[in-house]
Amino acid sequence: MAFALVRSASLLGIHGEPVDVEVHMGVGLPGFTVVGQPDESCRESRDRVRAALLSSNLPWPNRRVTINLSMRSSVKRGGSGIDLAIAVGLLVVQEIVPQEAIDSFAFLAELGLDGSLRAVPGLVPLVAAIDDRQVVVADAAHREAAVVSGERVRAAGSLAHVVECLTGTTEWSSCSCLADAVASGDVVDLADVRGQRAARRALEIAAAGAHHLLLVGPPGAGKSMLARRMPGIMPPLTPEQSLESTVVHSAAHVPLPAGGCVVWPPFRAPHHSVSLTAMVGGGTSSLRPGEISLATNGVLFLDELGEFAPSVLDALRQPLEEGAVRVARARHSVELPARFLLVAATNPCPCGEGTPGICVCDDRMRLRYFRRFSGPLLDRFDLRVAVTRPDVGDLLDPSPAESSAAVAERVLRARAASMSRNGVPNSALAGELLDRFAPLSTDATQLLRTQLERGVLSGRGFHRIRRVARTVADLAGNPEMVEAEHVAAALALRVQIRPVVHQW
Amino acid sequence: MVIDEEQVMACAMTAMHSVGSARLGGLLMRNSPSQVWKMLGLQDDELLARMEVALERGRIGVTYVGHPSYPVALSADPARPTVLFYQGSLEHLAHRRVAVIGTRGATASGRYMASHLGYDLTLNGVSVVSGLARGIDAWAHRGVMVAGSRHQHIAPPVAVVASGLDVVYPRDNLELWKWVAHEGVVLSESPPGTAPEAFRFPLRNRILAALSEVVVVVESRETGGSMITVEEAMKRDITVMAVPGSPRNSSSAGSNLLLQQGCAPVVSVDDVLVALGLDHRRCHPHVYDSRPHPSGFDLQVVEAIGREALTLDQVMVRLGSELVPTAVALGRLESHGWLVNNTGWWEVLGQLPGEGYGGSDAGMLPLTGANDR
Repeated sequence: MAFALVRSASLLGIHGEPVDVEVHMGVGLPGFTVVGQPDESCRESRDRVRAALLSSNLPWPNRRVTINLSMRSSVKRGGSGIDLAIAVGLLVVQEIVPQEAIDSFAFLAELGLDGSLRAVPGLVPLVAAIDDRQVVVADAAHREAAVVSGERVRAAGSLAHVVECLTGTTEWSSCSCLADAVASGDVVDLADVRGQRAARRALEIAAAGAHHLLLVGPPGAGKSMLARRMPGIMPPLTPEQSLESTVVHSAAHVPLPAGGCVVWPPFRAPHHSVSLTAMVGGGTSSLRPGEISLATNGVLFLDELGEFAPSVLDALRQPLEEGAVRVARARHSVELPARFLLVAATNPCPCGEGTPGICVCDDRMRLRYFRRFSGPLLDRFDLRVAVTRPDVGDLLDPSPAESSAAVAERVLRARAASMSRNGVPNSALAGELLDRFAPLSTDATQLLRTQLERGVLSGRGFHRIRRVARTVADLAGNPEMVEAEHVAAALALRVQIRPVVHQW
Repeated sequence: MVIDEEQVMACAMTAMHSVGSARLGGLLMRNSPSQVWKMLGLQDDELLARMEVALERGRIGVTYVGHPSYPVALSADPARPTVLFYQGSLEHLAHRRVAVIGTRGATASGRYMASHLGYDLTLNGVSVVSGLARGIDAWAHRGVMVAGSRHQHIAPPVAVVASGLDVVYPRDNLELWKWVAHEGVVLSESPPGTAPEAFRFPLRNRILAALSEVVVVVESRETGGSMITVEEAMKRDITVMAVPGSPRNSSSAGSNLLLQQGCAPVVSVDDVLVALGLDHRRCHPHVYDSRPHPSGFDLQVVEAIGREALTLDQVMVRLGSELVPTAVALGRLESHGWLVNNTGWWEVLGQLPGEGYGGSDAGMLPLTGANDR
């Protein structure tokens, strides 16, 4: 038998696709060729596979070997996950493993030079792509692979182990994992935050209505501290959201939490030196999901917003609008999910103090500082809150503040109310539906009219204020009418961010 | 404005590095510019032609020591500028003059005070002298501008700038600059084309001080440029007055220091008028503050903020109040003109309820405008 067909899979974005690895051994000068648009890591397979076979006391064919990677789409295929499939194929053509033995398996593992099996990125979507076979993965990757369908996953520690299992001399490794207890020990609690009455409420409103939040304040005011507590008060992920986030994390090769699935809203806080590719996605030939996709169903926290490259910030605008990002390259493009809650923090001015009279920056400097942020981006923050360092009295106050659990309960109730009414979180309410789902009382209309007439509220801002007011009303247990006080709260939590310089 | 050859020569000589200002001053006392030109053996027709064009294009006038139009107020000054450039008319220096100066990074209450002093002084026939810088300087003249738009007769504004008169700095004050040049006079000792280099500002401040009978510091940091003007004024025995500010406000640290050192305080235009020896009873009677007087919780909010700048959070902490009622109060006070919000910080505008400004019919000057939320 000089031909073998082995099933594996290849990753593009967050989607796996089955790959048929065809191995042919024939007469000719000893050689090894991989055809079928292999990518860089796949071409390196040859050396890894050879070393692994020899380390495992398995023969390397001194004949002419051709490997063809065949799959439906015409994209470049590969990834180091094909290593094991190639090695198994070589064993089949050398008649060490019978072809029938592998017909019900697919192989997804990278080979170490010592013959050990290693985990590969994107196991969750890769396993999902192979729906009709058992999937062989590395021991270390067992838990991640089992997220989709645990009963189909087989794990082994080394190439020799795989051969023994295929020839029926040993059993596959038992599944040691799947601790179903969901650990949430590292979730930080809002009770640790002293003072910050307004910011706490802003956090609550942001979580309940999925409104983007901008925190403006001097260093040490606790902006990052507040932002980190955001996931703890957000509604827990639905099963679909959980699977989506797990797939993205797996595809980006970000370690999954202990339970296997991502069940808490993810929190991503890239440093401000982040590149456009790392933020949006792309880069490797498999188009790795970026930070905005990893933050899907969770929080993307941008600390020191002004320090990010303008191109990176502007790239956020389309995903913020559409909840997804299409990463396109010359040969292929993918659509990645990007439905995140944006929380950003910035200093109010170059000196960082901000408080008029204490800040040493002149009007011009402050204005120039805020020019870093494009208007359209600033406009997408429904909530813009000034944060200051807590007073001494608050710091020393021994009574604990309200805990995340208590806030989360209110958030959950408000979110449930809005979802059953609108079908979407309040921040995503279409402008034309506002009159139906967020009707204004007479007083509220009057208040908004004055704001519009005074010119402090633009047309865009008008809709955003109405959505936030809707959430404030939901939190107050007012699912129908939006009252003037809700609008006033929304107005107070959306401060005008550009400094007032020329006031007439 | 007709420019003769003498003026062009005086202008050209200030632009030459080889001719020092003091030496030129000495020579011009006894000789005309053309004589000096000859005495020094200067030959630069290209510079003369360039200056003539610049003066004409910028509508810039030139006067120099010894010239009949040289301002009397400066001619006795020990550090008088040898050559003085002006836009507008030097006749506008005939009025009483008070300098209103201060920091570039002013608080809302400083801006309020500066613009109201400008408004009231000019209506009382006192020219407001200032430096057309950002912050207090510009706000004082903006007050004058509002007075000019509402009343027939105002005392002409006077500005002293550091750059050449055809180099408007800062650019955002262009409109104000043009208005001052049209209604009053803008002065500079720098020839046309001179950039606003840092060392020119302290020199400008000495002219500003020398031109004024009283210097009013509205808000200044301890090390601010206004303190240089104050020093120059004290050297010349010119009265310095200061507007008191909150001790927690570092933009008032300099002006408060002046008060500690014995300067007279300015809490209303009357104080300045009395210092000038003018009959302050001519001033309009105190007007009724047209803003609805806050009461109940609103009053508590205004009093909690007082003369400071507080965020929503700080207001809530001080009053121990919840978000919604606080937001309602802040919104109402803002729309009634009591509060102004700047990047998240709330400040009380004008006088606190129950405090009288002692000003005139200015009422609320239009301090807030289109802010995009």
